[in-house]
Amino acid sequence: MSALTERPARGVADDPSRSGSQRRRRTSVAAPWMLLGPFLALFVLTFILPIIVAVGSSFVRVSRKGVFGEEGVTTEFAWFSNYAQALENGNFIASIGRMLLFGVVQVTVMIALCTLLALLLESASAKWPGFFRAVYFLPYGIPGVIATILWSFLYVPGLSPIIDIAGAMGIELDFLGAGTVLWSIANIVTWTYTGYNMMIVVAQLKAIPGEVYEAAKVDGAGPFRVAASIQLPLIRPALILTTVFSIIGTLQLFAEPQVLQTVSPAIDNEYTPNLSAYTTAFAYNDYNVAAAQAVLIAVVAFALSFIFLRLTSRRAS
Amino acid sequence: MSPMTRRQLLAWAAAGGATALLAGCSTPGTVSPNTGPTIAPAAAGERITLTYWAWLKDLQKVADVWNADHPNVQVEAVWIPGGNDGGYQKLYSALAAGGGPDLAQVEMRTLPEFLLVNGLVDLRRYGADEVASRYNETLWNQVSYVDGVYGIPQDSGPMALYYRPDLLDRVGAKAPATWDEWFQVAGAVRDADMYLDCFALDDASWFAAMATQAGASWFRVDGDRWIVDMTDDATLETARFFDRAIDDGVMTTSYSQFSPAWFAAAAKDSIASLAGASWGDALLQGVSGAEGKWRVAPLPRWGSEGYGSTFQGGSTAAVLANSAHPREALEFAVWMTTSDAGIDAMIEHSGIGWSPNDAYIGSRRQQPSEFFGGQNYNEEVFVPAAKEQNNEWQWWPLTQQTFNILADGFRAKASGGTLVDAVVQGQRDVITAFRNKGLRIEAAS
Repeated sequence: MSALTERPARGVADDPSRSGSQRRRRTSVAAPWMLLGPFLALFVLTFILPIIVAVGSSFVRVSRKGVFGEEGVTTEFAWFSNYAQALENGNFIASIGRMLLFGVVQVTVMIALCTLLALLLESASAKWPGFFRAVYFLPYGIPGVIATILWSFLYVPGLSPIIDIAGAMGIELDFLGAGTVLWSIANIVTWTYTGYNMMIVVAQLKAIPGEVYEAAKVDGAGPFRVAASIQLPLIRPALILTTVFSIIGTLQLFAEPQVLQTVSPAIDNEYTPNLSAYTTAFAYNDYNVAAAQAVLIAVVAFALSFIFLRLTSRRAS
Repeated sequence: MSPMTRRQLLAWAAAGGATALLAGCSTPGTVSPNTGPTIAPAAAGERITLTYWAWLKDLQKVADVWNADHPNVQVEAVWIPGGNDGGYQKLYSALAAGGGPDLAQVEMRTLPEFLLVNGLVDLRRYGADEVASRYNETLWNQVSYVDGVYGIPQDSGPMALYYRPDLLDRVGAKAPATWDEWFQVAGAVRDADMYLDCFALDDASWFAAMATQAGASWFRVDGDRWIVDMTDDATLETARFFDRAIDDGVMTTSYSQFSPAWFAAAAKDSIASLAGASWGDALLQGVSGAEGKWRVAPLPRWGSEGYGSTFQGGSTAAVLANSAHPREALEFAVWMTTSDAGIDAMIEHSGIGWSPNDAYIGSRRQQPSEFFGGQNYNEEVFVPAAKEQNNEWQWWPLTQQTFNILADGFRAKASGGTLVDAVVQGQRDVITAFRNKGLRIEAAS
């Protein structure tokens, strides 16, 4: 990257006859690049290159001679066979299906909840909106791993007061069973991110000009009418944004199930797509298939986001 | 001279990408460390430092005992997360990057996985044969593959039955000597609103240990291919037995041994026994109010078949492929695992499992234990258990994946599946997984 910083300086030194204004223009063209340089270098090194390498290695396959490959290992270009193997893996497909189900329920609940909270906080009759905004936002400041550990104390039988109380009333609760643990995770995710998404919606609500509300008031609209006819349509962009982020975030779910795994036998090592890729790469040492899985996850996330944006923009127009 | 244009920048990025692509083309772990000439020992007087990555606590204190006597070969211990919780991931990526420590803690069952990525030095090339006689025979078998030795046994876990005499007394039972007796006691204990033990649906290693005790041997090498036999009589009998135990409700599957829920249940006196490894003794002390209540008996036997005990867990000190000083690393590993000073330090500071050296179990473990009500359980139960082992058992390069496949099948138990089905289907899936890795494998006929 040194070339980026040296060239303009040398250009100036080589040609002293240039006029001052020209020199200034040259410098001003170079300046953004100099400022961008450190970022670009790191961006290419830690973001672009890994993607290229991952895509590259997803097309490569290793075959072995001998019981451990001790008699020779060959690496060859394999076209789409790693992708085929990833797609044949029932657990991986199941994990994507599980995340779709999770997304449909959890994202819907969370977006509805964060919209409701934002509308309540921004309504005229709200008490201490600043305080409650901070309280709702607080869970976002707790890292996912810590949040999961905290919640697991409420999920584990024998430790959880909730289970004890319900048990005393004759209700058997099982937060960590095969059928329920997905929703226990959804609960943690909702708890963490509702406040964050609420902040985005609140920001958009605050951007609605006061005249619109005044006009509504003059026309005799009550708070529900204002919410339905003014606020909801005008915060659409914020809702679309938070939904897309949430869809992507759902497919990338990793920390919560991995931590909860230690207390829930129902969570397997390929419970979410990212866990599956992680296990394939680092527990099974199959970097090539894991790379294929990673590419597939990215494709699915891209496709879902694209479909959602397409659907919402069509309805708008 | 113009500043860099966008086109140039793109060209740069593309060139960089292409270089990385070329570098990335050789998938990591495809070059064997055991084909070149051996690495000579460090010159006399040269001072070297070995690094040892392990998840044993306070391992540096053990290394310091060695360091005091060996000024020229200093050992530095680095803590990593335990096994598949992140330690192996770290080791694999260090190996893939062409680096890594001289020594690493690798579980017995994981050695073949490291072999598969060419991550281990064959210690026979550095004189491991000379020390073979100091180690437990079964454990030495589990570090020997094809013609090499790929790790030095560091600790292990012969299994026994931990039990609560007071709780068994309530139903008029004693520690069961056979699994059939165990089943009857389990039923009686269940009627008194307790469990005799739990079955972990998410971890197949306990089941594998039981099958091993019954006489199973799932994998063996035949020339240049693997032979898998997970559906032999011993395994299927074991699977049927625990299917019945779970179906009859005498074993719970809602938690696994030593999980938070298990500790809570044990503290409430609703767990009457535990078929567990020798290292379980330290964990039992974490049960609140357990002092003096537990005793240890030999593991129940499978009738007249099978073996007296079986190993659960166990790790090695393995010399990794990129070590510059494999000879010295081996010397340290042998000192640590066979010398009295090494074993005692490992027990005192790191709380290792069972000593791999049959001749010395550690001075502390020769004494009666207060926690177990004055029972000298190590000498009484675990010393013989370490010798009554299934020598045929060998680990294989996809152990973790196999256990995960089995656990996936076991989980289906919650929705009407059986352990027998899980094992039968598991074998098919394992064969596919081997072939996907480019390894040859056949099912035993």
